[in-house]
Amino acid sequence: MSAVIETRGLSKHYGAVRALDGLDLTIPRGGVYGVLGPNGAGKSTLFRILLGLIRPTDGSATVMGGPVGQVSTMRRMGSMIETPRFPPFLTAKQVLNWLAAAHGLNGDPARIEGWLARVGLTEAANRKVRGFSVGMMQRLGVAAALMTEPELVILDEPTSGMDPPGIQEMRQLIRSLAVDDGLTVVLASHQLLEVQRVCDRVAILNKGRLVLEGAVSELTGSGERLRLKLRPQAAALDLLGQKGSAEGDDAVMAAVTRAEAPAVLKALIDRGVEIEEARWVGADLESIFFTETGSVQAPEAIHAG
Amino acid sequence: MLADAYRSETYRLLRNRTVLFWSVVFVPLIGVVFGIIGNAVLKANADKLAGEEMPPELMVAMAGGPMNLAAELVSAAGNVANPVALLFLLIGAATLYTGDYRWETWRLISARNGRVPLILGKVLSYVTLALVAMLVLVAGALIEKSISAGFFSRPLTFDAGNGRIADAFAMFGVSGLRILQVTMLGLLAGVVGRSLLAALFVPVVVSVLQALSPFALMGMGVANDAWVTFLVNPGQGYDVIAAAIRGGPDAPMAELVVRGWTSLLGWTILPLIGALAWFQRQDLSKE
Repeated sequence: MSAVIETRGLSKHYGAVRALDGLDLTIPRGGVYGVLGPNGAGKSTLFRILLGLIRPTDGSATVMGGPVGQVSTMRRMGSMIETPRFPPFLTAKQVLNWLAAAHGLNGDPARIEGWLARVGLTEAANRKVRGFSVGMMQRLGVAAALMTEPELVILDEPTSGMDPPGIQEMRQLIRSLAVDDGLTVVLASHQLLEVQRVCDRVAILNKGRLVLEGAVSELTGSGERLRLKLRPQAAALDLLGQKGSAEGDDAVMAAVTRAEAPAVLKALIDRGVEIEEARWVGADLESIFFTETGSVQAPEAIHAG
Repeated sequence: MLADAYRSETYRLLRNRTVLFWSVVFVPLIGVVFGIIGNAVLKANADKLAGEEMPPELMVAMAGGPMNLAAELVSAAGNVANPVALLFLLIGAATLYTGDYRWETWRLISARNGRVPLILGKVLSYVTLALVAMLVLVAGALIEKSISAGFFSRPLTFDAGNGRIADAFAMFGVSGLRILQVTMLGLLAGVVGRSLLAALFVPVVVSVLQALSPFALMGMGVANDAWVTFLVNPGQGYDVIAAAIRGGPDAPMAELVVRGWTSLLGWTILPLIGALAWFQRQDLSKE
């Protein structure tokens, strides 16, 4: 598994504030990779360093084998950092033409229309961007990132400001970029459910450091638990001891493996517990996130890094 | 990469109608309009003014003497760097130099191009805009003169003798350099301050102070033709070079022309180098 991004001891200090604090991170080539973290975790700082917008205080970072900031490397990347903005007097089509010129690309009208269609902006192609909603700006920003036909795409909050259908379309687009086009997509999002649905692997940052990294399926699968709707709840909790926890008034979560489950169920029945329902529940990314970061913020507040 | 930066800047500039109007169209337009109105008023009052004392050019005009368009061309080329034109050309410069801070678009373009080409692309794009604006200014001035000639039935001639065409090109070139020199202060201020207003007002304030500097220096006993006077005020350098191009009995000594070139080029190149150096290390994630 070759690395598309590699950081070693990467640090960025703003006075006494350590936005990144010796980050060691390896992002593999291919698939969709999510970078999560609460406010101030260092996500945006990491992205800005990778794009050469700011310089690290210490450590190193390579992108596709080349040092960060090298134009030949940067030209193989597409990016969208936070809500993109564009010159307000340009239309969506003109924005892409302008960026094509800036990137030394052929501004072939058919290709530009193709990218606008891919992000759902065909009807707004000739409208000036000063009238665009945040969601439309996001779509245009994604089109701008993709029109360069990059090998690696970095997207910071790609669904910010979008309505639910727009979020679903963006999710499908991001998956298709990885699956159909073979790109590596690295994204940061505060919508943890979206990240769980769209990403293959995630890294959780906290206070500028990596606290957890792995495949989403492994992370959520390793926290799999058995949810039992039953009564009396007290008898079940007594039997399960430290492996059990109450879920409302009529259910318990049992931290048992699939191998242990039949014996546990039999023991509960023998104790006279009536089991109405039993199902396996994977740990969701949100609970992992809060456990690993010790964050008490609402999910909506977990974004800027 | 410089070509990409230039191409994209020019593409965007050509679609910014506000900048094109104020920097290219407005001054020549009001020049033509006010010139025609002024001549119409003069014509209407010709009888009343017959016995009055007037400047010689005006007396020739009112007497219906011929108008040499070649001489008018030299005059117009030397007048494109006038303060009003400079002010409006600064609007275009400030917008062009600081647009990417204002619209937060550096992050879209800076990752895929070098920082020096990005700034030089802006400067080249501005040079193109300034050239077009200067040509329109000269054309406007010639149109206004031709129409005004009609008021007094003056015959139009084109006597390009005495190297007038070469003079016109030289005046055009040095006026272009003067315009660029003023806007380079705007570039430096705009990059350091990340602000359109800084790019607009810093050159205005500095230019006014420079224009007043000879008086202050004279008060300190510094001669008007001293090196320091030239080095502080590139406008004086421009005036001396322009006088040398016009020639005649008022032409300055070669030594003063050298001082003039040194000042004008120094005030053009040093702010550019400063802006490039600053931009190289600038955090572009904060726009």
